[in-house]
Amino acid sequence: MEAVHDVSFEVADKEFVAIVGPSGCGKSTILNMLGGLVTPSEGAIELDGRPVADVPPNVGYVFQKDTVFPWRTVRRNIALGLEYRGVRGDEQERRVREGVRLAGLEGFEDAFPATLSGGMRQRVALMRTLVVDPEILLMDEPFGALDTHTKLTLHAELLSVWEARHQTVVFVTHDLSEAITLADRIIVMTRRPGRVKLVHDVGIPRPRDVIKLRETEEYAHEYSVIWRVLGEELAEPGGVQGDMRNAAAAHLGSGHPPRPPASRPPLE
Amino acid sequence: MTERAWVLCWRLLILVVLVGAWEWLTGIKAISTTPGLYWIDPFFVSRPSVILRRFAYLASGEVRLSIWAMALSTVQSTLWGFVVGVSTGFAAGLVLGRRDRLARVFEPFIIAFNSLPRIALVPLITMIFGFGLLAKIVLAWTIVFFIVFFNTFQGARGVDADLIHSARFLGASERQVMRTVIVPSALAWTFAALTPSVSFALIGVVVGEFLGGETGGGLGYLIIQSLGTLNAADMMVALLTLGVIGIVMALGIKQVERRLLRWRPEYRTGA
Repeated sequence: MEAVHDVSFEVADKEFVAIVGPSGCGKSTILNMLGGLVTPSEGAIELDGRPVADVPPNVGYVFQKDTVFPWRTVRRNIALGLEYRGVRGDEQERRVREGVRLAGLEGFEDAFPATLSGGMRQRVALMRTLVVDPEILLMDEPFGALDTHTKLTLHAELLSVWEARHQTVVFVTHDLSEAITLADRIIVMTRRPGRVKLVHDVGIPRPRDVIKLRETEEYAHEYSVIWRVLGEELAEPGGVQGDMRNAAAAHLGSGHPPRPPASRPPLE
Repeated sequence: MTERAWVLCWRLLILVVLVGAWEWLTGIKAISTTPGLYWIDPFFVSRPSVILRRFAYLASGEVRLSIWAMALSTVQSTLWGFVVGVSTGFAAGLVLGRRDRLARVFEPFIIAFNSLPRIALVPLITMIFGFGLLAKIVLAWTIVFFIVFFNTFQGARGVDADLIHSARFLGASERQVMRTVIVPSALAWTFAALTPSVSFALIGVVVGEFLGGETGGGLGYLIIQSLGTLNAADMMVALLTLGVIGIVMALGIKQVERRLLRWRPEYRTGA
Protein backbone atom coordinates (compact mmCIF):
# COMPACT_ATOMS: atom_id res chain seq x y z
CA MET A 1 0.00 0.00 0.00
CA GLU A 2 1.42 3.31 -1.07
CA ALA A 3 1.14 5.89 1.67
CA VAL A 4 2.72 8.86 -0.03
CA HIS A 5 3.71 9.47 -3.63
CA ASP A 6 6.37 11.74 -5.04
CA VAL A 7 6.60 14.00 -2.03
CA SER A 8 9.43 16.47 -2.04
CA PHE A 9 10.10 19.41 0.24
CA GLU A 10 12.88 21.05 2.15
CA VAL A 11 12.93 22.36 5.66
CA ALA A 12 15.34 25.16 6.44
CA ASP A 13 17.39 25.40 9.60
CA LYS A 14 15.39 26.82 12.54
CA GLU A 15 12.20 26.68 10.53
CA PHE A 16 8.85 25.58 11.94
CA VAL A 17 7.00 23.57 9.30
CA ALA A 18 3.56 22.04 9.73
CA ILE A 19 2.18 19.27 7.55
CA VAL A 20 -1.62 19.13 7.34
CA GLY A 21 -3.86 16.84 5.38
CA PRO A 22 -6.82 14.52 5.64
CA SER A 23 -6.59 11.43 7.84
CA GLY A 24 -4.62 8.64 6.22
CA CYS A 25 -2.77 10.91 3.78
CA GLY A 26 0.61 9.68 4.93
CA LYS A 27 1.61 12.61 7.15
CA SER A 28 2.89 10.33 9.87
CA THR A 29 4.69 8.17 7.33
CA ILE A 30 6.61 11.22 6.16
CA LEU A 31 7.58 12.00 9.72
CA ASN A 32 8.64 8.41 10.33
CA MET A 33 10.82 8.57 7.24
CA LEU A 34 12.38 11.81 8.47
CA GLY A 35 13.07 10.10 11.77
CA GLY A 36 14.61 7.05 10.15
CA LEU A 37 11.91 4.69 11.44
CA VAL A 38 10.67 3.94 7.92
CA THR A 39 12.88 3.63 4.85
CA PRO A 40 11.33 5.16 1.74
CA SER A 41 10.81 2.65 -1.07
CA GLU A 42 11.99 5.28 -3.53
CA GLY A 43 13.91 8.50 -3.14
CA ALA A 44 15.92 9.74 -0.21
CA ILE A 45 15.77 11.70 3.00
CA GLU A 46 18.74 13.91 3.66
CA LEU A 47 19.79 15.70 6.77
CA ASP A 48 22.49 18.32 6.31
CA GLY A 49 23.28 16.65 2.99
CA ARG A 50 23.71 13.16 4.47
CA PRO A 51 21.13 10.42 3.93
CA VAL A 52 19.08 9.43 6.97
CA ALA A 53 19.58 5.72 7.59
CA ASP A 54 18.80 5.09 11.23
CA VAL A 55 17.45 7.20 14.06
CA PRO A 56 19.63 10.32 13.72
CA PRO A 57 21.23 11.90 16.77
CA ASN A 58 20.04 15.37 17.79
CA VAL A 59 16.55 14.63 16.58
CA GLY A 60 13.73 14.66 19.10
CA TYR A 61 10.47 12.91 18.33
CA VAL A 62 7.20 13.49 20.15
CA PHE A 63 4.61 10.84 19.45
CA GLN A 64 0.88 11.20 19.25
CA LYS A 65 0.52 8.22 21.50
CA ASP A 66 1.40 8.46 25.13
CA THR A 67 4.99 7.25 25.28
CA VAL A 68 5.83 8.34 28.79
CA PHE A 69 7.32 5.32 30.57
CA PRO A 70 4.67 4.29 33.07
CA TRP A 71 7.19 2.68 35.43
CA ARG A 72 9.19 5.87 35.88
CA THR A 73 8.23 8.91 37.87
CA VAL A 74 7.93 12.31 36.20
CA ARG A 75 11.45 13.20 37.31
CA ARG A 76 12.97 9.99 36.01
CA ASN A 77 11.09 10.23 32.73
CA ILE A 78 12.47 13.68 32.11
CA ALA A 79 15.93 12.41 33.08
CA LEU A 80 15.83 9.58 30.50
CA GLY A 81 17.60 11.30 27.65
CA LEU A 82 20.25 12.68 29.98
CA GLU A 83 20.73 9.23 31.49
CA TYR A 84 21.19 7.68 28.03
CA ARG A 85 23.76 10.31 27.16
CA GLY A 86 25.69 9.78 30.36
CA VAL A 87 24.77 13.15 31.92
CA ARG A 88 24.76 12.34 35.63
CA GLY A 89 24.88 13.81 39.08
CA ASP A 90 24.38 17.53 39.69
CA GLU A 91 24.22 18.42 36.01
CA GLN A 92 21.43 15.91 35.42
CA GLU A 93 19.56 17.06 38.47
CA ARG A 94 19.84 20.71 37.48
CA ARG A 95 18.54 20.11 33.97
CA VAL A 96 15.73 17.87 35.16
CA ARG A 97 14.65 20.47 37.69
CA GLU A 98 14.66 23.08 34.94
CA GLY A 99 12.58 20.75 32.75
CA VAL A 100 10.08 20.09 35.51
CA ARG A 101 9.76 23.83 36.04
CA LEU A 102 9.26 24.55 32.33
CA ALA A 103 6.64 21.83 32.13
CA GLY A 104 4.85 23.36 35.12
CA LEU A 105 4.99 20.05 36.95
CA GLU A 106 6.53 21.17 40.23
CA GLY A 107 5.13 19.08 43.02
CA PHE A 108 4.57 16.13 40.69
CA GLU A 109 8.23 15.11 40.38
CA ASP A 110 7.73 11.81 42.14
CA ALA A 111 4.32 11.02 40.68
CA PHE A 112 3.89 8.05 38.38
CA PRO A 113 2.28 8.77 34.98
CA ALA A 114 -0.82 6.74 35.82
CA THR A 115 -1.75 9.45 38.33
CA LEU A 116 -1.42 12.32 35.82
CA SER A 117 -3.87 13.74 33.29
CA GLY A 118 -3.32 13.32 29.56
CA GLY A 119 -2.13 16.90 29.24
CA MET A 120 0.40 16.49 32.03
CA ARG A 121 1.71 13.28 30.51
CA GLN A 122 2.16 14.95 27.15
CA ARG A 123 4.01 17.78 28.89
CA VAL A 124 6.35 15.20 30.36
CA ALA A 125 6.88 13.65 26.93
CA LEU A 126 7.58 17.05 25.40
CA MET A 127 9.95 18.11 28.15
CA ARG A 128 11.72 14.76 28.12
CA THR A 129 12.49 15.45 24.46
CA LEU A 130 13.45 19.10 24.95
CA VAL A 131 15.70 18.57 27.95
CA VAL A 132 18.40 17.00 25.76
CA ASP A 133 18.25 20.04 23.48
CA PRO A 134 17.64 18.45 20.07
CA GLU A 135 18.33 20.58 17.01
CA ILE A 136 15.45 19.05 15.12
CA LEU A 137 12.04 18.28 16.55
CA LEU A 138 9.64 15.88 14.83
CA MET A 139 6.16 16.04 16.27
CA ASP A 140 3.40 13.66 15.23
CA GLU A 141 0.07 15.17 16.29
CA PRO A 142 1.46 15.52 19.79
CA PHE A 143 -1.59 17.36 21.10
CA GLY A 144 -4.15 15.42 19.08
CA ALA A 145 -5.66 13.66 22.06
CA LEU A 146 -5.98 16.73 24.26
CA ASP A 147 -8.93 19.01 24.89
CA THR A 148 -8.93 22.47 23.32
CA HIS A 149 -7.97 24.33 26.46
CA THR A 150 -4.99 22.11 27.27
CA LYS A 151 -4.01 22.22 23.64
CA LEU A 152 -3.86 26.02 23.61
CA THR A 153 -1.80 26.07 26.78
CA LEU A 154 0.66 23.63 25.27
CA HIS A 155 0.79 25.66 22.05
CA ALA A 156 1.84 28.69 24.06
CA GLU A 157 4.44 26.66 25.93
CA LEU A 158 5.83 25.13 22.77
CA LEU A 159 6.06 28.53 21.10
CA SER A 160 7.87 30.08 24.02
CA VAL A 161 10.39 27.23 24.08
CA TRP A 162 10.81 27.45 20.34
CA GLU A 163 11.29 31.19 20.39
CA ALA A 164 14.04 30.76 22.96
CA ARG A 165 15.90 27.89 21.29
CA HIS A 166 14.77 27.90 17.64
CA GLN A 167 14.85 24.21 16.91
CA THR A 168 13.96 23.08 13.40
CA VAL A 169 10.46 21.66 13.76
CA VAL A 170 8.35 19.45 11.55
CA PHE A 171 4.91 19.26 13.07
CA VAL A 172 2.24 16.90 11.71
CA THR A 173 -1.36 17.69 12.50
CA HIS A 174 -4.86 17.50 11.07
CA ASP A 175 -5.87 20.62 12.96
CA LEU A 176 -5.48 23.59 10.63
CA SER A 177 -5.80 26.12 13.45
CA GLU A 178 -2.93 24.47 15.22
CA ALA A 179 -0.78 24.59 12.09
CA ILE A 180 -1.47 28.31 11.55
CA THR A 181 -0.84 29.13 15.20
CA LEU A 182 2.54 27.43 15.30
CA ALA A 183 4.17 27.22 11.90
CA ASP A 184 6.19 29.42 9.57
CA ARG A 185 5.22 27.31 6.64
CA ILE A 186 2.39 24.86 6.05
CA ILE A 187 2.53 21.91 3.69
CA VAL A 188 -0.92 20.73 2.64
CA MET A 189 -1.18 17.11 1.56
CA THR A 190 -3.66 15.44 -0.76
CA ARG A 191 -5.62 12.32 0.10
CA ARG A 192 -3.88 8.96 0.04
CA PRO A 193 -1.51 8.35 -1.57
CA GLY A 194 -0.44 11.74 -0.29
CA ARG A 195 1.28 14.30 -2.46
CA VAL A 196 2.18 17.88 -1.69
CA LYS A 197 -0.84 19.95 -2.65
CA LEU A 198 0.25 23.35 -1.47
CA VAL A 199 3.16 24.93 0.33
CA HIS A 200 2.05 28.06 2.09
CA ASP A 201 4.04 30.62 4.06
CA VAL A 202 2.18 31.80 7.11
CA GLY A 203 2.38 35.58 7.16
CA ILE A 204 1.61 36.05 10.82
CA PRO A 205 4.36 37.88 12.72
CA ARG A 206 5.99 36.48 15.84
CA PRO A 207 5.83 36.38 18.76
CA ARG A 208 2.29 35.09 18.51
CA ASP A 209 -0.35 35.05 21.18
CA VAL A 210 -2.16 31.74 20.76
CA ILE A 211 -5.47 33.13 22.04
CA LYS A 212 -5.60 36.63 20.60
CA LEU A 213 -4.21 35.39 17.31
CA ARG A 214 -7.52 33.80 16.48
CA GLU A 215 -9.36 37.09 16.52
CA THR A 216 -7.06 38.71 13.95
CA GLU A 217 -7.78 39.35 10.30
CA GLU A 218 -4.52 37.70 9.29
CA TYR A 219 -5.52 34.48 10.97
CA ALA A 220 -8.90 34.46 9.27
CA HIS A 221 -7.22 35.16 5.97
CA GLU A 222 -4.66 32.37 6.34
CA TYR A 223 -7.34 30.01 7.46
CA SER A 224 -9.60 30.63 4.49
CA VAL A 225 -6.76 30.47 1.97
CA ILE A 226 -5.60 27.08 3.18
CA TRP A 227 -9.06 25.82 3.86
CA ARG A 228 -10.07 26.46 0.27
CA VAL A 229 -7.31 24.09 -0.88
CA LEU A 230 -7.72 21.55 1.89
CA GLY A 231 -11.48 21.60 1.55
CA GLU A 232 -11.18 20.55 -2.10
CA GLU A 233 -9.18 17.59 -0.94
CA LEU A 234 -11.89 16.60 1.49
CA ALA A 235 -14.74 17.20 -0.92
CA GLU A 236 -13.36 15.45 -3.99
CA PRO A 237 -15.38 12.43 -5.08
CA GLY A 238 -14.17 8.85 -5.02
CA GLY A 239 -12.82 6.56 -2.35
CA VAL A 240 -13.87 6.61 1.24
CA GLN A 241 -14.35 10.34 1.33
CA GLY A 242 -17.99 10.11 2.38
CA ASP A 243 -17.57 9.87 6.13
CA MET A 244 -13.95 10.87 6.06
CA ARG A 245 -14.98 14.26 4.83
CA ASN A 246 -17.27 14.73 7.76
CA ALA A 247 -14.72 13.43 10.21
CA ALA A 248 -11.94 15.57 8.84
CA ALA A 249 -14.13 18.62 8.56
CA ALA A 250 -15.14 18.16 12.16
CA HIS A 251 -11.51 17.97 13.21
CA LEU A 252 -10.47 20.87 11.12
CA GLY A 253 -13.37 22.96 12.28
CA SER A 254 -12.50 22.48 15.92
CA GLY A 255 -10.24 25.50 16.05
CA HIS A 256 -13.06 28.06 16.13
CA PRO A 257 -12.20 30.25 13.16
CA PRO A 258 -13.62 33.77 13.55
CA ARG A 259 -16.01 33.27 10.66
CA PRO A 260 -16.87 30.24 8.61
CA PRO A 261 -14.68 30.20 5.51
CA ALA A 262 -16.66 30.65 2.35
CA SER A 263 -15.47 27.45 0.72
CA ARG A 264 -16.22 25.18 3.63
CA PRO A 265 -17.80 22.03 2.24
CA PRO A 266 -21.39 21.48 3.22
CA LEU A 267 -21.76 18.80 5.88
CA GLU A 268 -24.48 16.61 4.62
CA MET B 1 -15.29 -2.03 61.50
CA THR B 2 -12.84 -1.52 58.69
CA GLU B 3 -12.97 -3.66 55.58
CA ARG B 4 -9.74 -5.33 56.59
CA ALA B 5 -10.92 -6.24 60.05
CA TRP B 6 -14.16 -7.58 58.66
CA VAL B 7 -12.37 -9.89 56.23
CA LEU B 8 -10.01 -11.02 58.96
CA CYS B 9 -12.90 -11.79 61.34
CA TRP B 10 -14.61 -13.95 58.77
CA ARG B 11 -11.43 -15.80 57.98
CA LEU B 12 -10.90 -16.58 61.65
CA LEU B 13 -14.50 -17.65 62.06
CA ILE B 14 -14.30 -20.07 59.13
CA LEU B 15 -11.04 -21.48 60.44
CA VAL B 16 -12.50 -22.03 63.91
CA VAL B 17 -15.62 -23.68 62.53
CA LEU B 18 -13.63 -25.98 60.26
CA VAL B 19 -11.17 -27.04 62.94
CA GLY B 20 -13.99 -27.39 65.47
CA ALA B 21 -16.06 -29.55 63.13
CA TRP B 22 -13.04 -31.69 62.41
CA GLU B 23 -12.36 -32.25 66.08
CA TRP B 24 -16.01 -32.85 66.91
CA LEU B 25 -16.96 -35.13 64.00
CA THR B 26 -13.95 -37.38 64.44
CA GLY B 27 -14.97 -37.86 68.05
CA ILE B 28 -18.46 -39.29 67.40
CA LYS B 29 -18.71 -43.03 67.63
CA ALA B 30 -20.80 -44.80 64.99
CA ILE B 31 -22.09 -47.53 67.26
CA SER B 32 -21.54 -46.61 70.82
CA THR B 33 -20.84 -50.14 72.01
CA THR B 34 -18.24 -51.05 69.47
CA PRO B 35 -14.93 -49.48 70.41
CA GLY B 36 -12.95 -47.80 67.66
CA LEU B 37 -15.69 -47.43 65.10
CA TYR B 38 -16.30 -43.80 64.11
CA TRP B 39 -18.48 -41.94 61.66
CA ILE B 40 -15.32 -40.27 60.42
CA ASP B 41 -12.39 -42.31 61.44
CA PRO B 42 -9.50 -40.30 62.94
CA PHE B 43 -7.24 -43.14 61.87
CA PHE B 44 -7.43 -41.77 58.33
CA VAL B 45 -7.92 -38.05 58.86
CA SER B 46 -6.55 -37.65 62.36
CA ARG B 47 -7.84 -34.93 64.72
CA PRO B 48 -6.67 -31.38 65.37
CA SER B 49 -5.79 -32.14 68.98
CA VAL B 50 -3.72 -35.17 67.97
CA ILE B 51 -2.04 -33.27 65.19
CA LEU B 52 -1.12 -30.51 67.62
CA ARG B 53 0.39 -33.04 70.00
CA ARG B 54 2.36 -34.68 67.21
CA PHE B 55 3.52 -31.28 66.04
CA ALA B 56 4.76 -30.40 69.51
CA TYR B 57 6.55 -33.71 69.66
CA LEU B 58 8.11 -33.36 66.22
CA ALA B 59 9.11 -29.81 67.03
CA SER B 60 10.79 -30.83 70.28
CA GLY B 61 14.40 -31.86 70.60
CA GLU B 62 13.44 -35.48 71.27
CA VAL B 63 13.35 -36.51 67.61
CA ARG B 64 16.33 -37.10 65.37
CA LEU B 65 14.88 -35.13 62.47
CA SER B 66 12.71 -32.30 63.82
CA ILE B 67 9.89 -30.70 61.86
CA TRP B 68 11.96 -27.50 61.78
CA ALA B 69 14.84 -29.22 60.08
CA MET B 70 12.51 -30.79 57.55
CA ALA B 71 10.68 -27.55 56.86
CA LEU B 72 13.98 -25.74 56.49
CA SER B 73 15.21 -28.31 54.02
CA THR B 74 12.02 -28.03 51.95
CA VAL B 75 12.10 -24.23 52.01
CA GLN B 76 15.74 -24.20 51.04
CA SER B 77 15.27 -26.52 48.06
CA THR B 78 12.16 -24.61 46.99
CA LEU B 79 13.88 -21.23 47.15
CA TRP B 80 16.86 -22.50 45.19
CA GLY B 81 14.65 -24.09 42.55
CA PHE B 82 12.58 -20.93 42.41
CA VAL B 83 15.51 -18.56 42.12
CA VAL B 84 17.32 -20.64 39.52
CA GLY B 85 14.12 -21.29 37.57
CA VAL B 86 12.99 -17.67 37.61
CA SER B 87 16.33 -16.21 36.65
CA THR B 88 17.00 -18.63 33.80
CA GLY B 89 13.39 -18.46 32.59
CA PHE B 90 13.47 -14.66 32.68
CA ALA B 91 16.75 -14.43 30.80
CA ALA B 92 15.68 -16.95 28.17
CA GLY B 93 12.30 -15.25 27.77
CA LEU B 94 13.92 -11.86 27.24
CA VAL B 95 16.41 -13.13 24.68
CA LEU B 96 13.97 -15.22 22.65
CA GLY B 97 11.29 -12.56 23.02
CA ARG B 98 13.50 -10.06 21.24
CA ARG B 99 15.12 -12.43 18.73
CA ASP B 100 12.47 -13.68 16.36
CA ARG B 101 14.66 -16.07 14.42
CA LEU B 102 16.09 -17.66 17.51
CA ALA B 103 12.59 -18.05 18.89
CA ARG B 104 11.48 -19.81 15.74
CA VAL B 105 14.44 -22.20 15.92
CA PHE B 106 13.82 -23.15 19.54
CA GLU B 107 10.04 -23.24 19.49
CA PRO B 108 9.49 -26.99 18.84
CA PHE B 109 12.10 -28.01 21.41
CA ILE B 110 10.58 -25.84 24.08
CA ILE B 111 7.06 -27.02 23.37
CA ALA B 112 8.15 -30.67 23.31
CA PHE B 113 10.01 -30.43 26.59
CA ASN B 114 7.23 -28.48 28.23
CA SER B 115 4.66 -31.07 27.18
CA LEU B 116 6.47 -33.81 29.10
CA PRO B 117 4.76 -34.49 32.39
CA ARG B 118 7.46 -33.38 34.77
CA ILE B 119 6.72 -36.17 37.19
CA ALA B 120 7.88 -38.62 34.52
CA LEU B 121 11.31 -37.05 34.79
CA VAL B 122 11.66 -37.74 38.49
CA PRO B 123 13.32 -41.16 38.16
CA LEU B 124 15.73 -39.88 35.51
CA ILE B 125 16.64 -36.81 37.52
CA THR B 126 17.17 -38.99 40.57
CA MET B 127 19.37 -41.30 38.56
CA ILE B 128 21.51 -38.41 37.37
CA PHE B 129 21.57 -36.13 40.39
CA GLY B 130 21.08 -38.53 43.25
CA PHE B 131 18.81 -38.03 46.24
CA GLY B 132 20.15 -34.76 47.52
CA LEU B 133 19.43 -31.06 47.26
CA LEU B 134 20.57 -30.86 43.63
CA ALA B 135 17.94 -33.30 42.34
CA LYS B 136 15.17 -31.32 44.03
CA ILE B 137 16.43 -28.04 42.64
CA VAL B 138 16.61 -29.49 39.15
CA LEU B 139 13.10 -30.87 39.45
CA ALA B 140 11.68 -27.55 40.64
CA TRP B 141 13.63 -25.82 37.91
CA THR B 142 12.11 -27.94 35.12
CA ILE B 143 8.70 -26.62 36.07
CA VAL B 144 9.42 -23.04 37.12
CA PHE B 145 11.64 -22.30 34.15
CA PHE B 146 8.87 -22.83 31.63
CA ILE B 147 6.21 -20.90 33.47
CA VAL B 148 8.47 -17.87 33.82
CA PHE B 149 9.90 -18.32 30.35
CA PHE B 150 6.55 -18.28 28.57
CA ASN B 151 5.29 -15.25 30.44
CA THR B 152 8.46 -13.23 30.02
CA PHE B 153 8.58 -14.22 26.36
CA GLN B 154 5.09 -12.84 25.84
CA GLY B 155 5.94 -9.71 27.78
CA ALA B 156 9.17 -9.05 25.89
CA ARG B 157 7.39 -9.61 22.61
CA GLY B 158 4.53 -7.31 23.42
CA VAL B 159 6.64 -4.27 24.30
CA ASP B 160 5.09 -1.19 22.70
CA ALA B 161 7.21 -0.35 19.65
CA ASP B 162 6.67 3.37 20.19
CA LEU B 163 8.25 3.14 23.65
CA ILE B 164 11.32 1.58 22.07
CA HIS B 165 11.36 4.24 19.35
CA SER B 166 11.06 7.06 21.82
CA ALA B 167 13.96 5.63 23.82
CA ARG B 168 16.02 5.45 20.65
CA PHE B 169 15.23 9.07 19.85
CA LEU B 170 16.32 10.03 23.34
CA GLY B 171 19.67 8.49 22.55
CA ALA B 172 19.40 4.99 24.03
CA SER B 173 21.81 2.30 22.92
CA GLU B 174 20.64 -1.26 22.29
CA ARG B 175 21.55 -2.22 25.87
CA GLN B 176 19.90 0.83 27.35
CA VAL B 177 16.70 0.00 25.47
CA MET B 178 16.86 -3.49 26.97
CA ARG B 179 17.43 -2.18 30.49
CA THR B 180 15.04 0.75 30.53
CA VAL B 181 12.23 -0.39 28.24
CA ILE B 182 12.09 -4.12 27.64
CA VAL B 183 12.99 -5.40 31.10
CA PRO B 184 10.50 -3.17 32.95
CA SER B 185 7.72 -3.90 30.44
CA ALA B 186 8.31 -7.62 30.61
CA LEU B 187 8.54 -7.61 34.41
CA ALA B 188 4.83 -7.03 34.75
CA TRP B 189 4.25 -10.26 32.85
CA THR B 190 6.96 -12.12 34.70
CA PHE B 191 5.45 -11.23 38.03
CA ALA B 192 2.14 -12.70 37.02
CA ALA B 193 4.01 -16.02 36.76
CA LEU B 194 5.78 -15.86 40.11
CA THR B 195 2.97 -16.83 42.47
CA PRO B 196 2.14 -20.01 40.56
CA SER B 197 5.88 -20.61 40.25
CA VAL B 198 6.29 -20.85 44.01
CA SER B 199 3.56 -23.46 44.21
CA PHE B 200 5.08 -25.41 41.37
CA ALA B 201 8.55 -25.20 42.83
CA LEU B 202 7.10 -26.62 46.03
CA ILE B 203 5.47 -29.44 44.06
CA GLY B 204 8.76 -30.27 42.38
CA VAL B 205 10.61 -30.33 45.68
CA VAL B 206 8.05 -32.43 47.55
CA VAL B 207 7.92 -34.99 44.75
CA GLY B 208 11.70 -35.09 44.86
CA GLU B 209 11.56 -35.63 48.61
CA PHE B 210 9.18 -38.56 48.21
CA LEU B 211 12.11 -40.41 46.71
CA GLY B 212 14.81 -38.59 48.54
CA GLY B 213 15.21 -40.60 51.73
CA GLU B 214 16.38 -39.29 55.04
CA THR B 215 19.47 -37.38 53.97
CA GLY B 216 18.32 -33.79 53.75
CA GLY B 217 14.80 -35.20 54.03
CA GLY B 218 12.17 -32.52 53.96
CA LEU B 219 8.45 -32.54 54.51
CA GLY B 220 7.97 -34.88 51.55
CA TYR B 221 10.07 -37.41 53.41
CA LEU B 222 7.84 -37.06 56.46
CA ILE B 223 4.78 -37.69 54.29
CA ILE B 224 6.21 -40.86 52.80
CA GLN B 225 7.41 -42.00 56.22
CA SER B 226 3.91 -41.45 57.61
CA LEU B 227 2.45 -43.49 54.79
CA GLY B 228 4.77 -46.29 55.72
CA THR B 229 3.67 -46.21 59.34
CA LEU B 230 0.05 -45.34 58.53
CA ASN B 231 0.37 -42.25 60.69
CA ALA B 232 -2.26 -39.73 59.56
CA ALA B 233 -1.36 -37.24 62.26
CA ASP B 234 2.23 -36.88 61.08
CA MET B 235 1.05 -36.63 57.52
CA MET B 236 -1.28 -33.81 58.50
CA VAL B 237 1.55 -32.06 60.33
CA ALA B 238 3.58 -32.16 57.11
CA LEU B 239 0.68 -31.01 54.95
CA LEU B 240 -0.27 -28.12 57.21
CA THR B 241 3.34 -27.02 57.44
CA LEU B 242 3.56 -27.09 53.64
CA GLY B 243 0.45 -24.96 53.49
CA VAL B 244 1.96 -22.39 55.82
CA ILE B 245 5.18 -22.34 53.80
CA GLY B 246 3.18 -21.80 50.61
CA ILE B 247 1.26 -18.88 52.10
CA VAL B 248 4.35 -17.18 53.49
CA MET B 249 6.20 -17.48 50.20
CA ALA B 250 3.26 -16.20 48.16
CA LEU B 251 2.90 -13.22 50.52
CA GLY B 252 6.60 -12.49 50.20
CA ILE B 253 6.28 -12.39 46.42
CA LYS B 254 3.25 -10.13 46.63
CA GLN B 255 5.33 -7.70 48.67
CA VAL B 256 8.17 -7.64 46.16
CA GLU B 257 5.66 -7.26 43.32
CA ARG B 258 3.94 -4.38 45.08
CA ARG B 259 7.24 -2.62 45.41
CA LEU B 260 8.56 -3.23 41.90
CA LEU B 261 5.27 -2.63 40.13
CA ARG B 262 4.18 0.31 42.26
CA TRP B 263 3.82 2.39 39.10
CA ARG B 264 0.79 0.37 38.06
CA PRO B 265 -2.56 1.88 38.99
CA GLU B 266 -3.77 -1.29 40.70
CA TYR B 267 -0.97 -1.03 43.26
CA ARG B 268 -1.38 2.65 43.95
CA THR B 269 -3.86 2.41 46.76
CA GLY B 270 -2.92 0.93 50.08
CA ALA B 271 0.60 0.12 48.95
